[in-house]
Amino acid sequence: MNRELVITRKKWSLRKQTLALILLSVIILFIMVTSGFFVDAKKLDVHLENRNIAPSLSNLFGTDWLGRDMLARTLKGLTLSFSVGILAAFSSTVIAVFLSFLASLNQLLDRMVTWCIDLFLSLPHIVTLLLIAFAFGGGMKAVVIGLALTHWPSLTRVLRAELLQIKNTPYIQISRSLGKSSWWIAIHHYLPLLAPQIIVGFILMFPHAILHEATITFLGFGLSPEEPAIGIILSESMKYLSTGMWWLAFFPGLSLLVMISIFDLLGQNVRKFVSPYQFKSWQV
Amino acid sequence: MLDRNSKPIFMLAILFLLIGVLTACSQSESGASKEANPSKDELILAIGGEPEDGFDPTTGWGRYGSPLFQSTLFKYDKDFKVINDLGENYQISDDGLKWTVGIRKDAKFSDGKNVTAEDILFTYETTKDSSSVVDLSNLSGVEALDSHTIQFTLHKPQSSFIYMLISTGIVAKHAYDDRYQENPIGSGPYKLVQWDKGQQLIVEENPFYYGEKPYFKKLTFLFLSEDSAFAAAKAGKVDIVSVPPTYAKEKIKDMKLVKLDTVDNRGIMFPFVPAGEQMDDGAPIGNDVTSDLAIRKAINIGIDRQTLVEGVLEGYGTPAYSVADGLPWWNPDTKIEDNRLEEAIQLLEAAGWKENKQGIREKSGIEASFTLYYPANDQVRQSLSLAFSEMMKNLGIKVTTEGKSWNELEKLMFSNPIMMGWGSYDPIEMYNLYSSKTKGIDYYNANFYENEAVDNYMKLALEAVTPEEANLYWQKAQWDGVTGFSIQGDAPWAWLVNLQHLYFVKEDLELGGQKIQPHGHGWPLTDSVSEWHWRNK
Repeated sequence: MNRELVITRKKWSLRKQTLALILLSVIILFIMVTSGFFVDAKKLDVHLENRNIAPSLSNLFGTDWLGRDMLARTLKGLTLSFSVGILAAFSSTVIAVFLSFLASLNQLLDRMVTWCIDLFLSLPHIVTLLLIAFAFGGGMKAVVIGLALTHWPSLTRVLRAELLQIKNTPYIQISRSLGKSSWWIAIHHYLPLLAPQIIVGFILMFPHAILHEATITFLGFGLSPEEPAIGIILSESMKYLSTGMWWLAFFPGLSLLVMISIFDLLGQNVRKFVSPYQFKSWQV
Repeated sequence: MLDRNSKPIFMLAILFLLIGVLTACSQSESGASKEANPSKDELILAIGGEPEDGFDPTTGWGRYGSPLFQSTLFKYDKDFKVINDLGENYQISDDGLKWTVGIRKDAKFSDGKNVTAEDILFTYETTKDSSSVVDLSNLSGVEALDSHTIQFTLHKPQSSFIYMLISTGIVAKHAYDDRYQENPIGSGPYKLVQWDKGQQLIVEENPFYYGEKPYFKKLTFLFLSEDSAFAAAKAGKVDIVSVPPTYAKEKIKDMKLVKLDTVDNRGIMFPFVPAGEQMDDGAPIGNDVTSDLAIRKAINIGIDRQTLVEGVLEGYGTPAYSVADGLPWWNPDTKIEDNRLEEAIQLLEAAGWKENKQGIREKSGIEASFTLYYPANDQVRQSLSLAFSEMMKNLGIKVTTEGKSWNELEKLMFSNPIMMGWGSYDPIEMYNLYSSKTKGIDYYNANFYENEAVDNYMKLALEAVTPEEANLYWQKAQWDGVTGFSIQGDAPWAWLVNLQHLYFVKEDLELGGQKIQPHGHGWPLTDSVSEWHWRNK
């Protein structure tokens, strides 16, 4: 038995395993997200004669009270969640990178940025998010702005700490003595060094953003009931749970969970892949 | 023995222990009262609808259905005949301006004091002064002729004034203050005992009630969400529970489903004028697509109302053809045969709406498409909108649906079709919806409908002396064979369905004869509360 284990280990080094997992999760995610585009629009239409059908071969996820196919709605919802997630995570990352560079400029700016981080981290995410989304009047735009403005602090903190280290390394000092501008240094020295953290941070921000989007939509402050978002589907299904229509909540919820877990897996493995030596210290 | 220092501590400990025991007691007590079967002359109801503004009739309480704590001058019987309540008789002067009402002398408020003309005078004056939903602008003055006779003077004749006398609960002048809405004193069948906002309302029989005494001495109204009310019914903890259509197919042990027909209707209001104008606050008025009569008519005859009833309401409703189906002032001629797709298409073709490559009709560059808005938190209206939009595809009319809050709808309703709901015991509602005088006032004629003939008929209806005569004119305003605001006429609305109000009621409980219910699920049920009783008793 031990020998077999050794052999498999030899076939698949940790690095290869990581790579395989990354590829696998990327493929699954790709399928999940793109299938939303190929959903037959007819399936989303109202078919009153087919309403409230339990999961079966023709309707894998069942149908809702208006006869809409739940599989089609779920896939559409996942695609929507994905696009909201990507927009929000991207803007958050941009904010985080910008702020961490700003913090590296001088002591005063550093203090201000740290203060901002502490301020945002001291409030629960969801409260700030609700506040911002509500202030912007709800809908897609408000949700993306809200998500972007609330998810940057933890990544900014990591990036700022990294930068503090890098800033004091000899070659940066030399670069500075040679008269290079802060901007030049940021682009040519900081950015390449920070790239792994930025990528990993970006991916790991995804599941957070998507979950929070679903949450505030569920609570009724997010996307409008027209959008086939998972949060909408879940909150609508609550009215039907007591009548035994479990599939309305179960499958969409499960799909969201699967998508989030895969993202998390992807993030962890990318982190392992791009900086294997630091991985252990990061696991804390 | 204890020394001096430890005595206070000892006392404190006992105090805490005592508090602990007491709270434990009260907890188990309240737990027990919920568990126990209600004794036979008590009922527990979960019919929703906690009034935000409390129980003050002068600000709108009891308009739909009965005020429970108060009584009114007159009331409807099961067939919408006007019968006496506090009032014993009424005369209208020949010019229709003076209404004289005699009041019964034996009526008492729930605190034992007599009901006099003073109280009625006070009620109507307070109602008129309160800027509430109640419209008494036509009332010029009230006068107490003697202690039990009262005279109302109107600015202009209004036959529908009788409905004001039917719907306004009389408050006790001596008990009226800022907190009246939480502590109502009236001459109705019940008096308020306790109101825990957001939780429950407990009422007890009014010992001084002059009418037929109700069988049930005590009613507890629980304010629960739809699912928890349903769950409570399943657990056998409530005697009457109101449910949405989705729950109605379920079975609950020892409970029967009571379906009540209503005029609680849902329909689409179409902007009647072409786009261009603006409200004072800048909200646009009018819509180029729905201002075309052919579009409105085609929609009205092309939709399949019965399918909407079956599909969206699970069969618990009836097709709606007007705002007042089944009420005395309803014109039965307004009922049409719908689901006539081919005729609808012919109508559109004849009017010049031709299909383009995308399958959507067009006329002189305008696409037959509009956005139908509905209140976002109302699932029935959402489902109706979605199903309606699907049906419109057959006609080549593109309907996008969107849910909005009421605040947003108030800006959109002048220029976009809205999924609305009405249904009242007062024909003045027709006037409000269709008169050119109420254009753009609140939610009334928000689609800017106008028809001179309709205006005339409604004027005649208001000036009529007897309700019968008035009803005749109300019916003519709907359709007189040439014009009107019904589907045959200008069709400014597409009425879709009348909901049925659904209740699960204990198997042995009889609710008496119920009228056609108005808009508002819940309180109207209590209108017949004096007739409620257990079977075989």
